[in-house]
Amino acid sequence: MTTRYTDMQLDALRELANIASGTAATSLSQMLGKDVDLNVPKAFALPLADAVDATGNPEELVTGVALALEGDLEGVVLLLVKAQGAATLCGLLGVEPNTEVGDSAMGEIGNILGAAYLMALSAMTGLTLLPSTPFVVTDMLGSIVASVLAETVGHGDTALVLDSELDITGEPCAISFLLLPNAGGVNDLLAPLGLSEATA
Amino acid sequence: MGELAVSNRVGDELVAIGLGSCIGLAMIDRDAGVAGLAHVVLPESQGKPGPAPKFADLAVPDMIGKMVAAGANKRRLEALMIGGARMFSVGASMDIGSRNADAVRSALRDAGIRLKTEEVGGNRGRTARIIIGSDVSSQLAGGERTSLMSLTAGLGSVGKREAAKAV
Repeated sequence: MTTRYTDMQLDALRELANIASGTAATSLSQMLGKDVDLNVPKAFALPLADAVDATGNPEELVTGVALALEGDLEGVVLLLVKAQGAATLCGLLGVEPNTEVGDSAMGEIGNILGAAYLMALSAMTGLTLLPSTPFVVTDMLGSIVASVLAETVGHGDTALVLDSELDITGEPCAISFLLLPNAGGVNDLLAPLGLSEATA
Repeated sequence: MGELAVSNRVGDELVAIGLGSCIGLAMIDRDAGVAGLAHVVLPESQGKPGPAPKFADLAVPDMIGKMVAAGANKRRLEALMIGGARMFSVGASMDIGSRNADAVRSALRDAGIRLKTEEVGGNRGRTARIIIGSDVSSQLAGGERTSLMSLTAGLGSVGKREAAKAV
């Protein structure tokens, strides 16, 4: 028994992610004074067993910035940056990576990108989206993503992930920007677009 | 996540990479040379559908059945658990890691399986690894493997015979 989404629903979610992450890319570009490229986002609905691998190499050491969502949509916004990318971002902001100040700067980047992304999402769906204070952790990608999915998907059978990638032009820095809605949250995103609910 | 593997072939490697709040539950019959590893995500199934190994309460009996089917003797089974960290220490988030660890402990107790070693808690992710005929180990991100149980010295006559047959 797996929750299925139609191609049209996944296309709509991908388009939401595309516009929202475009707004986030603009604010990142303004913050750093650098061009930022935005790759075409992915929207995938997978069984839990396959979801982590779809977001990256589970063993890779990454810095994750997590913002829990409250309001009309529950879920988590998660930014993932590989070690070299985190060092690059901190360097551009003039702070040392993997220090208290470095983590704080990463959290602030998460805050600003998350706010821009959610504001765009809110404008398109009419949902009130409230992010929590960012939490920064550096660990294996698998440990971070699986721990978030355990909370967001929980007893559900399918993990829905909206995955956008922002690349800073000319720098070895890619930021994976993930939106992981709670089990019931996907319909909250789809309903304002007039797309029927996911079928079980 | 929510997966389970059992093997009785010497040299086979069972791995759960990047356990955060999840638990890598290992079961071993050293004499028979049978080992299993489950990736437990949540403490209780609460009657919801899903693969049995996803939930601590269902994972333990499911695993015992598969271990016995692979040649293990239930009375010789020993368990180890790895993971159950709290990756995000702020926010409204419940501590799923420690609830998972409690649920695994209690399910093992109910089933009468000895919990030999646990490497749980803290705020860092771990990788659980079983190499049959070698050892069970835990590894922090970017760290060395810590061996938790040797599977060489304890390999009894049954295991040796089966290993010889496998060759």
